Amino acid sequence: MRKQEKRAWICLAMVIVLVAGLGVFTFRFVKHGGEWATFYGNTQIYTDGQINRGTITDRTGTELLRCTKDGFVYSDDYMTRVSTVHAVGDPKGNVSTGAISRFKSQLIGYDMLNGTYDSTAGGKTISLTIDAAANRAAYEALGSRTGAVGVYNWKTGEIVCMVSTPTFDPADEPENADEMNEEGSYFFNNFLSGAMIPGSTFKLVTSAAVIDTMPDRDSFTFDCDGVNQLGDGDDTKLTDVYAHGTVDFREALAESCNGAFGALTREVGAKTMKKYTEKVGLTEPVDVDGIETAAGTFDFPSDNDVKLSWAGIGQADDLVNPCAMMVYMGAIANGGEPMQPTLIKSASFLKEIAGGKSLGRYLDAETADELRDMMKNNVVENYGEENFAGLNIYAKSGTAESGGVNSDAWFVGFTDDEDAPYAFVVWVKDGGFGSAAAAPIATYVLNTLEGGY
Amino acid sequence: MTTVFRWIFVVLAAYILLISIVSLLSTRATPEIWGYYMVEGGANYPITHWENVIGRSRSTDINVPLNTISNNHALLVRRGEDKWMIKDLGSENGTYVNGHRLDPDKRYIIGSGDIIEMGGVRSTVTQTSLEEARNNKFMRRLDKEPVAPWKILIAITAFQALTIVQLVLGMGTEMTASALISIVVLSIVMWAYVMTMEAMGGRGFEMEMIAFFMSTVNLAVTASYDPGSVTKEMIAMLIGIALMIFIMFFLRDLERTKRVRPILIGLSVVALLINLIFGNAEFGATNWIQIGSMSVQPSEIVKVAFIVIGAGVLEELYDKKNTYMYAGFSLFCMACLALMNDFGTALIFFTTYLVVSFLRSGDFSRMALTGTAAGALGLMALKFRPHIASRFSAWGHVWDPDMMDAAGYSQTRTMSYGAGGGLLGLGAGNGSLKGVFAANTDLIFGYVMEEWGLIITILLVLCIATLSVFAVMSIMAGRSTFYTILACGAATMFLVQTMLNVFGAVDLFPMTGVTFPFVSTGGTSLVASWAMLAYFKATDMRRDASLAVRKEE
Repeated sequence: MRKQEKRAWICLAMVIVLVAGLGVFTFRFVKHGGEWATFYGNTQIYTDGQINRGTITDRTGTELLRCTKDGFVYSDDYMTRVSTVHAVGDPKGNVSTGAISRFKSQLIGYDMLNGTYDSTAGGKTISLTIDAAANRAAYEALGSRTGAVGVYNWKTGEIVCMVSTPTFDPADEPENADEMNEEGSYFFNNFLSGAMIPGSTFKLVTSAAVIDTMPDRDSFTFDCDGVNQLGDGDDTKLTDVYAHGTVDFREALAESCNGAFGALTREVGAKTMKKYTEKVGLTEPVDVDGIETAAGTFDFPSDNDVKLSWAGIGQADDLVNPCAMMVYMGAIANGGEPMQPTLIKSASFLKEIAGGKSLGRYLDAETADELRDMMKNNVVENYGEENFAGLNIYAKSGTAESGGVNSDAWFVGFTDDEDAPYAFVVWVKDGGFGSAAAAPIATYVLNTLEGGY
Repeated sequence: MTTVFRWIFVVLAAYILLISIVSLLSTRATPEIWGYYMVEGGANYPITHWENVIGRSRSTDINVPLNTISNNHALLVRRGEDKWMIKDLGSENGTYVNGHRLDPDKRYIIGSGDIIEMGGVRSTVTQTSLEEARNNKFMRRLDKEPVAPWKILIAITAFQALTIVQLVLGMGTEMTASALISIVVLSIVMWAYVMTMEAMGGRGFEMEMIAFFMSTVNLAVTASYDPGSVTKEMIAMLIGIALMIFIMFFLRDLERTKRVRPILIGLSVVALLINLIFGNAEFGATNWIQIGSMSVQPSEIVKVAFIVIGAGVLEELYDKKNTYMYAGFSLFCMACLALMNDFGTALIFFTTYLVVSFLRSGDFSRMALTGTAAGALGLMALKFRPHIASRFSAWGHVWDPDMMDAAGYSQTRTMSYGAGGGLLGLGAGNGSLKGVFAANTDLIFGYVMEEWGLIITILLVLCIATLSVFAVMSIMAGRSTFYTILACGAATMFLVQTMLNVFGAVDLFPMTGVTFPFVSTGGTSLVASWAMLAYFKATDMRRDASLAVRKEE
């Protein structure tokens, strides 16, 4: 009988296979349970392919979307719906950056212990960090123009305003998405997913490189004749709107002198320009609660002075993502260390106290301070402080030549009030001059946020 | 309320199952001693089994390491008080009793006075003295006591009572009184069984507790899936329990059990033929026959017989005729299942056949031959049965966009709803996997996960693992290879069934559509599960722990 006893090990081997398989499954359950549970085939949480529970509100508790078994219920207010749709999402899932698709498991309330069990039967509420009123203001200010507005609290990282146009009404989403998209992508979130020519706003990056690498920058001067011919022929000009005359570094930024910044760029050199563009986070995607923004792309040729100069001015092949630009503004505001932007309001009191999560050091504190000072100078000398009544604002405008009828208008910067530490970015396609077209939008939104309107 | 219940269910289930599992795995029976084999001028071997091989090979039970003795020299089988059967296994130098050379392959009865001579060595078989017998008995009394059943019984009853409340909470007016009464009946039967057995001097009810618990989950799932069918399920359970008790009594007498095998072969052949001729094709497999209002799955019942038919006492394992008979019968069964298109069950039979053959012979070359033949057969099945091929093609890819709603539909739903249950479950009656085909049978793993949570689901799988480990552990004290093969055969069936069911549902293996022992809805499957539990009980050599084991006197 001993033979048979010994051979019984084969049953133990099968037990081991069974238990090992169960182990593999449990591992997968822990790792993928959230994905599995939120799969659209799960009719506990989906009705006709739509999530049937959960509520999305703005930072003040205003309901933006309620998911019910009878379908999605959006805000009653048209302006609120169209201005928040890129943050909230649409029923058909066309907006890929929407909270409905991105924060699905939080919305459903999945956790490993309870699964999709829901004692309230209404799902969880997620509070977005955006302020519906600010979004409405941004949408109103943009009007029918294509553009993007983003504002975030540079101390906490909370994105308080995020609007992208063209937009649409999610409560009345047309059947034919292609038809809708004829005039440009309604579903596309320019702020998170766009990459566009930065124009003169990029001079803030060149300036950072200058501050760090040119100890003699205070003695720098440039004579701007408005044409600034570098070599022979039309394609070697660094044209300016008008002749700035003799400018120093500070004035060059305030006047946004292309000729001067071309010279500074050449002095700094291609390698350093590339290094600083990477250093301030413009070439990598920004992680916003798991949503990756588009990454910017740049080219600084070391063998072509004209092209290098234009690249340092924010033209040539430069493409920047608005969100990344906003984070850079946050870096300057916060002494060189930006906070990671977030769209979900933290429910945890402790986290609220601790503030945001740092993205690490972009710039030295002294560099940031000098930039900050120069940005204030821009406002005082060029844009006019009276245009920003009530706001302690630091800014840079941009006018990007994108080949359209008009230039694209930019206005980026931050405010520094105890209660309103906001970094912002405004981009208006075909808007014309940055300070004229984009700055008022920024002012309107910031004032709305500060309760000015 | 469900919110609180979910915790209580998990705590109760963990208590019931862990106590039972730990008790089963921590107790070990001291072997009984049936006599001594005394070698002249040499060692004195205690005989701890009814069936023993004497020889030079290390794997013999009485190992006499002399060159003049063949590897497997002779067989010594207990036939009663001081009565032993001896048989020469065709040894080179022969076996002599009282100077008379035994004819190989012929049986001789000897007692304590007789002198056995092998390879020039004389030895005798002696009875245990009264004192030794008393000592052995005393030693066995020192074995760790099996856990008392009462606390577990109360816990299961509480679990059942809460299940009734939860089903009403979850299903509301959809729940029927008859479904709930069925759970009460199960509870009463459980108490009656334990109290009766205990009154008869029985102990050690862990296996039954595990089975009663799993059956409770079965009724809860069936009630959640279709309240109208619970009564039928409960009746099947009663038949299964009755059959288990009957088989346990029957197994007490080994000779009787041996004699019943040809009858079982005949009945099995008839049952499978009836199935082939009158069977109803249902969703690919023709494995049902309709008798009145009941549909029966003959292959499930044949499973129970298949194990007994494959079992044999040690003497039979050296008999080629017996082996061929078994192989022929197995081939017939698998051919029938192939014709029925029941791939999953065929796989279960096949694996069980392999394991039992291995136990019987241990001859790897023969196993390899069988394996190759079956592999070829399997390939042909793949070629000729497109639906099996499609199941294999989805394997490992069920989450691919073109699979998740097609060939991987069942698996993705199982995982999605299962994960939705989390660790604690949504509560009985609250699940949604029930909308998917075969949710309460093939996809039961996901069903239980969704309604009862991952913890209870894992515990259920561990129950099956525990029964098997216990069976393997206790055959060390076994009396006959017959019981060893029974237990390993039954363990193999349970293990393979559980693996195919669980792994198939969660895409660790292609979906084959088999049931989870005890838990899947299905009358015949439940009867078979309970009946096979008797085979596990037959190995339980702890003192007074099994009805299937005749008392020592």
